[in-house]
Amino acid sequence: MASLKLQNIRKQYNKLEVLKGIDIEIEDGGFLVLVGPSGCGKSTLLNCIAGLEDISSGDIMIGEKSVVDLHPSQRDIAMVFQSYALYPNMNVEQNIAFGMEMRGIAKPEREAAIARVAETLQITELLKRKPSQLSGGQRQRVAMGRALVRDPQVFLFDEPLSNLDAKLRVDMRTEIKKLHQTMGTTIVYVTHDQIEALTLATKIAVLKFGELQQFGTPKQIYDQPNNLFVAEFMGSPSMNLMRARIIEAEGTLTAHVATGQGATLVLPLHGFEALNAHKGTEVILGLRPEAITDEASASGQDQSKVLLQSCQINVVEPAGSDTFVTTSLGGKEVIARLGADAVVSAGESMPLAFNMAKAVFFDPSSEQRIA
Amino acid sequence: MSQSNSSNPTAANRRVWLRALLYAVLLVFVVYYLLPLYVMLVNSFKPLEEIRGGNMLALPHIWTFEPWKAAWSSAQIGVQPTGLKPYFINSIMMVVPAVTLSTLLGAVNGYVLTKWQFPGHGLVFAMILLACFIPFQIVLIPMARVLGILGLAGSTPGLVLVHLVYGLGFTTLFFRNYYAAFPTELVRAAQMDGANFFQVFWRILLPSSGPIIVVTVIWQFTNIWNDFLFGASFADFDSIPMTVALNNLVNSSTGVKEYNVHFAGAVLAALPTLIVYVVSGRYFVRGLMAGAVKG
Repeated sequence: MASLKLQNIRKQYNKLEVLKGIDIEIEDGGFLVLVGPSGCGKSTLLNCIAGLEDISSGDIMIGEKSVVDLHPSQRDIAMVFQSYALYPNMNVEQNIAFGMEMRGIAKPEREAAIARVAETLQITELLKRKPSQLSGGQRQRVAMGRALVRDPQVFLFDEPLSNLDAKLRVDMRTEIKKLHQTMGTTIVYVTHDQIEALTLATKIAVLKFGELQQFGTPKQIYDQPNNLFVAEFMGSPSMNLMRARIIEAEGTLTAHVATGQGATLVLPLHGFEALNAHKGTEVILGLRPEAITDEASASGQDQSKVLLQSCQINVVEPAGSDTFVTTSLGGKEVIARLGADAVVSAGESMPLAFNMAKAVFFDPSSEQRIA
Repeated sequence: MSQSNSSNPTAANRRVWLRALLYAVLLVFVVYYLLPLYVMLVNSFKPLEEIRGGNMLALPHIWTFEPWKAAWSSAQIGVQPTGLKPYFINSIMMVVPAVTLSTLLGAVNGYVLTKWQFPGHGLVFAMILLACFIPFQIVLIPMARVLGILGLAGSTPGLVLVHLVYGLGFTTLFFRNYYAAFPTELVRAAQMDGANFFQVFWRILLPSSGPIIVVTVIWQFTNIWNDFLFGASFADFDSIPMTVALNNLVNSSTGVKEYNVHFAGAVLAALPTLIVYVVSGRYFVRGLMAGAVKG
């Protein structure tokens, strides 16, 4: 077990820069998730940590030691690949043993290690099978077994759940989390699925076009996104972003948002001193769907920051545990998350509770968060 | 389908006739292709008088193995009455190392060209590929020169080298296309497991290359065994391969043309490739298809 430190990592292919100075530090036993859309450089970054690709400049430290000049097999890491990469000509046991065999570990020790890992992952009865005779979930387990048996300083996971069906993915996600809790090993995990990122991580790094957009705890990323990209990318349904004008009335700041019916929604702003600098200008107001809800669901929230306002409901989408409704605000469709038992039908008006305690504000031109 | 058959007898009739016609045509082709083999086999079991008596297509009246024995061990080949046996052994001594080495080297080439790509790997592959299109005749004189310099002229190792060099283009092509579809993640996983260049090759790639090895071996075996030009050009008395010896057998005149012996000799010369095809032909087709779809 060890901490992992990435210092100003840059990676170029000819003229094309795919990693533009990434700085990340994850403590011993942490669970770092690299998340971002396709082509953001997250898999490249993981391959650089693994040593499968060279970096152009910067430094990678595992523990207190720089590993940049070490061969992948010398970095004391283990990796689970997206396709699992099980050797098709070997059975499960040989697959797990291959790395130990290459490192010249004696046979009795190898067998003990295999038995221990097979026990942990409940694959003992599969040991003699070939990968082609395994289901997707079983292959996933074997791939993890091959990584576990090394007992490395850092685990690397490259989108390990993306080839599984939806149900199995949720199960395996829980299992990975459980595994991390029992083993306590540092993990770096790449995914494009923001739900995986939020559920698994102790720290999330959001990447876009090879640049680090934000690095922080899941709560920081979710509640205080650095910019519009992070706000939209994380969370499902994604954050509602609407145009609002900051106006000072009778000594208090308010945000004015145009409703669909030509009226104006006036939201009080308490504790947003930073917005004083933006008086009279247009900003982007971000509110998560769960911060716009029905009166009953809002009763537990800080009432001084909640505003009730009647809105026309355009679409109603019951989702079992919640009911999502859309209304028109600031020229955009806005999604609100109501309680499961909310009674409403499309075309009606109903009072929606806006919880401004959770509001964030962005500058429309720089797209950075201002409050 | 059976319903429409019973309700419409004319259509059913027509289908039967079409089917019959199809089989008739196919039968004609089968006969056409098998007739030479039949003539060779039948006449190789006849005494010479019977052949001279006419009717090449008739079955032998008197079955005899003498022509086979003669062709194998006593027929006049050039100036020596040795039969084809020593030349058969020459061919084996040439084919086995040539096929093994060219297949192995082709596999290593394919491995490097797909999994250890270096700047200019495309150009190198194009140049290796070009070797497939060089006509045999062009390389004869330069090759003779090279063999002379290496001191391998007229020897079996010399012939092995010639076939190895000439076959490398094809074997590289086969393996490169096969390995291009081989998941690179497996190679990376093996690297992280600590396997080096050759360990990845021996332990991961080669055991998964069954179909393409069969294709390559059949291809190389057939080509090298059947080669006449290189054998005729570069072999000495003690390294003459089967094909050249067969030619010498047919052309050595001791007065009478012993057709039955010639036929038996020709079948002997073709036998190894026939056996290879019969034993592994279905893998050959499967391997070619796999390459076609994936590569």
